[in-house]
Amino acid sequence: MTYQRLNSLLITMVVTVAFIWLAIPFTMAVLWSLVDPAEPWTADKLLPPVMSFYRWVDMWENSSLRYALISSYTLAPSAALLGLCLALPTAFALGRFDFPGREVAKLLCLLPLVVPPFITAIFFSALLFQLGLNTWRFGAIVFAHSILFLPYAIRILTVSFETVRQDHIDAARDLGASAWARFRVAYFPALKPGISATLLIVFIQSIEEFAIAFIIGSPDIVTIPTLLYSALGQDFVRPNAAVLSLILVVPNVFLMLILERLMRSANPALSSGKG
Amino acid sequence: MTLRDWVPIVALLVPGLGLILVLIGSVVYIAVAQSFGYYALLGQSEFSLEFWSDVFGRKLFSRAVRYSIYVGFWSAVLSVALAYPLAIWLRKPFSGSIGLGALLKAPLLVHGLVAAFLYINVISYNGLLNQFMQGIGIWSEPRRLQNDSNAFGVLLLQVWKNMPFALLLLTGAVQSISDDILDASRDLGAGPWARFCKIIAPLSISGMQAAMVIIFIGALADFTFQTTVGPTNRQSMAQLMVSFKSRGDWHSAAVVGVSLMTIALLGSALLAFTSRVIMRGGLR
Amino acid sequence: MAAIGIRGLSKSFDGFQALSELSLEVNQGEFLTLLGPSGCGKTTLLKIISGFLEPSTGSITIGGEDVTRVPPESRDTALCFQSYALFPHLTVLQNLEFGLKQKGVSRDQREVRISEVAAKLELEAQLEKLPNQLSGGQQQRVSLGRALVMRPSVILFDEPLSNLDAKLRDQVRVEISRIQQDYSLTAIYVTHDQSEALAMSDRIVVLNNGKIVQVDTPEDLYAKPRTSFVADFIGGANLISGKVSSQTEKDPITIETSMGQIETSQCVKDNVENVELSWRPERAKIGEGPYRGTIVHRAFQGQFTDLILEQNDTVFRIRTNNDKLCVGEVINFSLSPDDVVVLEADK
Repeated sequence: MTYQRLNSLLITMVVTVAFIWLAIPFTMAVLWSLVDPAEPWTADKLLPPVMSFYRWVDMWENSSLRYALISSYTLAPSAALLGLCLALPTAFALGRFDFPGREVAKLLCLLPLVVPPFITAIFFSALLFQLGLNTWRFGAIVFAHSILFLPYAIRILTVSFETVRQDHIDAARDLGASAWARFRVAYFPALKPGISATLLIVFIQSIEEFAIAFIIGSPDIVTIPTLLYSALGQDFVRPNAAVLSLILVVPNVFLMLILERLMRSANPALSSGKG
Repeated sequence: MTLRDWVPIVALLVPGLGLILVLIGSVVYIAVAQSFGYYALLGQSEFSLEFWSDVFGRKLFSRAVRYSIYVGFWSAVLSVALAYPLAIWLRKPFSGSIGLGALLKAPLLVHGLVAAFLYINVISYNGLLNQFMQGIGIWSEPRRLQNDSNAFGVLLLQVWKNMPFALLLLTGAVQSISDDILDASRDLGAGPWARFCKIIAPLSISGMQAAMVIIFIGALADFTFQTTVGPTNRQSMAQLMVSFKSRGDWHSAAVVGVSLMTIALLGSALLAFTSRVIMRGGLR
Repeated sequence: MAAIGIRGLSKSFDGFQALSELSLEVNQGEFLTLLGPSGCGKTTLLKIISGFLEPSTGSITIGGEDVTRVPPESRDTALCFQSYALFPHLTVLQNLEFGLKQKGVSRDQREVRISEVAAKLELEAQLEKLPNQLSGGQQQRVSLGRALVMRPSVILFDEPLSNLDAKLRDQVRVEISRIQQDYSLTAIYVTHDQSEALAMSDRIVVLNNGKIVQVDTPEDLYAKPRTSFVADFIGGANLISGKVSSQTEKDPITIETSMGQIETSQCVKDNVENVELSWRPERAKIGEGPYRGTIVHRAFQGQFTDLILEQNDTVFRIRTNNDKLCVGEVINFSLSPDDVVVLEADK
């Protein structure tokens, strides 16, 4: 009896803290983004006196928001596609071949995660400078992003390749399938969820990435995180920062939930047939 | 395996692993080289220990090192210390435990900068916290809470962001401990604290070490939290590095960068080793 | 004073009644087996005795003390798990020491007890090994040793032999029996294997659907099952129903069945007309006798031969040493009235 009561007490406590931790800050952000400049929201009022989408419209039309959105949402898919192409061969090798040093190779693929992001960003830009490639910033960011997130891509695709069943491949061969047909029938079904998951994860990470976009991109290229960063610094206009925060978080939450569902469905989709 | 067999494998590894090694390798190489005076962007490139002695001699640097280690260490320890009891509590499913787990892991979905903004919003001069404290009479006037000099803002944000990650790792580690083993320890007389020290902690060590190391490295090298909500009279190492670079002093930036990497490596090894010793030491 | 006293114990989970109004007394130094099919509640009862579950109603006392709400860590019971549950990060010695350290036993005492148990279970050579370096039989013995060093009031076994292969099972079975007797431990043993139960127990508790069906010594349980469930669960049984035809105090009672008239030396209640009878296949004496049947199936089993006979749509089984009988033969057999048991109705 007492255990259950203690449990319920703990649940209530945690939910309350989570409420303070999450719900209040977010509600504040939403409210701030809806403040109409006609009447400022002063400390004595519980809710903003006038609420409208003024801030949203204003930012869309006047500030770099539009530009940042375009940058972010073109950088991300490019990085995702490039990352996918770069990761596929390595994942194929790691997933389907057994060679000495394979575990070491798998570990080495995690290197980009170990080096602190700002170090990578600064010295990558130094490298570009030395190589004289520092003019095409957009390309540099896409390239850097795709390599930075390769650990995730390689990991996911390696697992996908490992789950491709040898007996499916053999059965296809036995029935006379060409290499392409074998790929379609034995490899592709196992890879599909892995490919979607990879594209999604690199996309999400690229949208959120700050260090490289900040160091290499500024001042020409503005992404949503760098815009938000500057909005938090010198020109701190609270409603604008609120709008940017929501634009950064809300799509990502949905994308992450989709990703979670994808990763979970990746396994049952692959167990076709018995034995 | 013959050389022939290796060729296709190496060819396949090149675009992925190969590029990773090239990129990270050259980044680290350039950082080290620049710290010793090479690859100067302007002027002469020659070997010199001058930059090292210069940066190390500055109080600014030693303060940044101490500060970054302070932030890194406490972020890791607090995140793990909060996550452990939660992971143990959520180990066996009960009604609502899945929802609770999701709720606790929600901050993982929120970008660091957004978290910084939300925090600033709440504690700002005319913000909610000040109004609340005045409302219930604890404070008579609003207080300036942002950019506090003890870096509580930074630590709070680091824990807010990292505790769910530690929870993720620790939940996996703790759930892999079979019920029978915990029941056996109970049967032999072990109470909750003894069960934690002697069974749960030793058997979940690698998850705990991974969490501590990853959080330590991330918090040590933090830039964004520091520059948005951190104390103004202190600099983190990453912040120092960026400021050197923006002034064109790439060599000093490189010195800070290489130091940062070294401290990250040594600190992680030390943390992993110490936590193992503490956990094991509590046993015998 | 009984070592364990269980009164009116019930346990339900979300509307499912796992145990209903159980009452049982276990004597000091007794080896008691809880026997029954899966889902009968024996493991639930064991968990309540060891403290991992609290009963919904009822009470349980150990050594005279009420322990109904006492948690396992404070109870003087020791449990041997089906999966052994050895601590994987501790050596055999540390596993054995664990409970003693928790109890605060002094180092000298610990050494004495552990060396004694290690010698008895032949574990001296394994003391510095980790569990994953031991064989299944050795792990089982460490699990047993870990409970034994505690010198508990009650030692509990949760199907400890089910993960061992047949030969090892017999060996360890003998070891457990010997140790229980040497140390005069009160033991509660859970199993679904009736041969284990018959071989090891002082008394057997047969459970079905959360209720106690019969509690008896193995011999009495076998010779005088009370219901058709028990008759069929322990050993094989031929079940046949019939009508009481004559009843006097001196003679054995005669019952009309589809096999013919069967006599039983057991008593039948006064107004009861319809009864259910049970007789064991190996008790039939082949040769002369009032009963006959045609052999329709023969299974040679080495030590004996199982026969299935049919007669007038009645099917029964006989177990015999005679391996020369063939399918299609008609044989006669007789039954002693002592070997025919009158069963109670299954509640």
